[in-house]
Amino acid sequence: MNFFKRAWLNLIAKKGRTLLLILVTSAILLFVLAGLLIRNAADAATSNAKKSVGATLTLSANREAAFKKMRASASGDSTSKPEKPSLSLTPVKLADVKQIANLDNVKNYNLLSSTSVNASSFDAISTTTSSAVSANTEDGRGGSKTFADQGDIAISGVSATALTTNFASNGYKIIKGRGILASDANTTNIIVKSELAKQNDLSVGDTIKVKSTSGSQTYSMKIVGIYKAPSTSDTAQMGPGATDPSNTIYSSYTLANTIKGSKYKNTADSVTFNVSDPVKVEAVKKAGTKLISTSKYSLSANDVSYQSVKSSMTNIKSFADKIVWLVAIAGTIILALIIILMIRERRYEIGVLLSLGESRAKIVTQFFVEMFLVLIVAVGIAGAGGQFVGNKLGEQLVAQQTASTASSVQTGGMTRPNAGGQAPGNGNAQAPSGSVGRGGASFMDSSADKTALDVQVTPTNLAELGGFGLAIVFISIVLASGGILRLSPRKVLID
Amino acid sequence: MLELKQIGYWYDREENSLFKNVDLTFETGHSYAIVGQSGSGKTTLLSLIAGLEKPKAGEIILNGQLLSQIGLTKYRQKKVSIVFQSYNLLTYMSPLNNLLTAMAVTKSTHEGDKTYAREMLRKLGLTDEQMTKNVQRLSGGQQQRVAIARTMCCDAKLVVADEPTGNLDEENTQEVIQLFQTIAHEQDRCVIIVTHEPDVAAACDYSYRLAHHEFALEK
Repeated sequence: MNFFKRAWLNLIAKKGRTLLLILVTSAILLFVLAGLLIRNAADAATSNAKKSVGATLTLSANREAAFKKMRASASGDSTSKPEKPSLSLTPVKLADVKQIANLDNVKNYNLLSSTSVNASSFDAISTTTSSAVSANTEDGRGGSKTFADQGDIAISGVSATALTTNFASNGYKIIKGRGILASDANTTNIIVKSELAKQNDLSVGDTIKVKSTSGSQTYSMKIVGIYKAPSTSDTAQMGPGATDPSNTIYSSYTLANTIKGSKYKNTADSVTFNVSDPVKVEAVKKAGTKLISTSKYSLSANDVSYQSVKSSMTNIKSFADKIVWLVAIAGTIILALIIILMIRERRYEIGVLLSLGESRAKIVTQFFVEMFLVLIVAVGIAGAGGQFVGNKLGEQLVAQQTASTASSVQTGGMTRPNAGGQAPGNGNAQAPSGSVGRGGASFMDSSADKTALDVQVTPTNLAELGGFGLAIVFISIVLASGGILRLSPRKVLID
Repeated sequence: MLELKQIGYWYDREENSLFKNVDLTFETGHSYAIVGQSGSGKTTLLSLIAGLEKPKAGEIILNGQLLSQIGLTKYRQKKVSIVFQSYNLLTYMSPLNNLLTAMAVTKSTHEGDKTYAREMLRKLGLTDEQMTKNVQRLSGGQQQRVAIARTMCCDAKLVVADEPTGNLDEENTQEVIQLFQTIAHEQDRCVIIVTHEPDVAAACDYSYRLAHHEFALEK
């Protein structure tokens, strides 16, 4: 009868002890597995976040340099009659855009050109709040009288609506017709918001007319789609002096350029480049900066979504690592103590085997085999329960992380200079009076979706857990049996 | 068969030796008793003979080979079989499995032979039902018989027993003494029994008394 059979007979004969060992080992492995699952899920989520969240670079006029230039010209011209200084921003040239677009890791780009017009053949939606009262314009058309010279309709010219953050991740949806496509360049196709369409009985295929803010020119536009935005984003976009977000019309950037004037042909206010790998965003920015005139343009990186998800996942992974290590260390100690007690109890048996001439190595191997059999059952139990515990623990961790990240992003958003108006890098068009900005809340909605953990028990996880368990058992048995096996058989047996 | 040459043993200091310069010879086909007062060192000598411990001085020679050359583990496995006062059976097994385990560990010529193991147990008075019960459910006498059967199943020519009748009643004692005589004389083995019981010593072929740190042949 070899030590395998002895191990088996021992386990069968001492059922109570075997059951206790299985329960303790299962409990330890259950938490180790939960930790491993969360860690792996966090890894996978970070990897997915790289693909789905992405990062962007925004090429726009260098406001800082333009501001310095304006200040310099104002102070250098002190003899002449003082004039109201004006900021001169250089629109981005398409030739520069194409150079950056050719860089490695640039997936695609979105040209953004914004302007404002006044509604002509329809009513713009006016908003009345307790702090600001809007009134109809003289001709009876809607809009804010106070800001009438700025236009009551915001035109957001884009390459394609699908490439904007609003449509990609902020919950904007096309509910009728289609969005703006690259093929809409040089057309008068537009999409309007559902509230504006409902107010004016507009539908896909209708043509509307708008007037330039100077009133000198009228433009006809064809509705090809109607979109809807989440109500939270509308509230977030409201601000002092802002036209209602429902008055935002999306068109091709070429149409916005046409309204702005001929000098804007083949230009854009800003360009958003989507970078395929968020990790490479800084490298692309560096390479892109070399291709542009930094006195006129600035290239800014925006990987806040990725960084946020990465940060959440890093925290969760770090927590999961701690769980694994803490449980492993505590488990080793608990299991080692139990095995030490068990082996001390079996001192007599060890003595008998030694007196028969059994080698110490085979006696230790017998204990190891016993624990290995216990481990197989415990891994099965932990495998069955690990997914449940991992899911519960993971949900709790993600909820905590998302809440804390949301809080920090919202706080950060309050101080961001572009939070309400032009938001470089977030894929939104520059709009009059900040109508197309976005707040932290809508951002976190999408971020939370992307940080959800997918906790799944795979054979690899179980193999990893088995390896972990074997290591714990091995260390425990070596620690436990070392004390007894170094004694002489007489001491073990007779003393 | 077995020679003890100038054997000495002490715990802390040599001056306080339990025994010193012991020269004894044991042969197969005979039984030997070692008697003496409690604490005189009888069991210690048996431990040295059984290879459970090394002597502090002297050499133990088995069939012309030094015990240190054979190696204690191999010596216990192949050359010597031990019977203890407290039986020292594997308590989580049946008598049959105890025998099979001993046969496997010692690599007996009958290793794995259940029929042989059953035959031995039957010879020693155990029923088929008792053979497969847990050993702890047997009486002291039955357990000691299982321990002796374990010895008989192994091939070792040297059998040592430490107070084998210490926990047994008179009837069982006589039976066990008879079994050891059978092992020595019929199986041609060397049986060395440590005992403080005069009846056991009287039944053996030779008897050594340990007194005042020295051994003297009584019989």
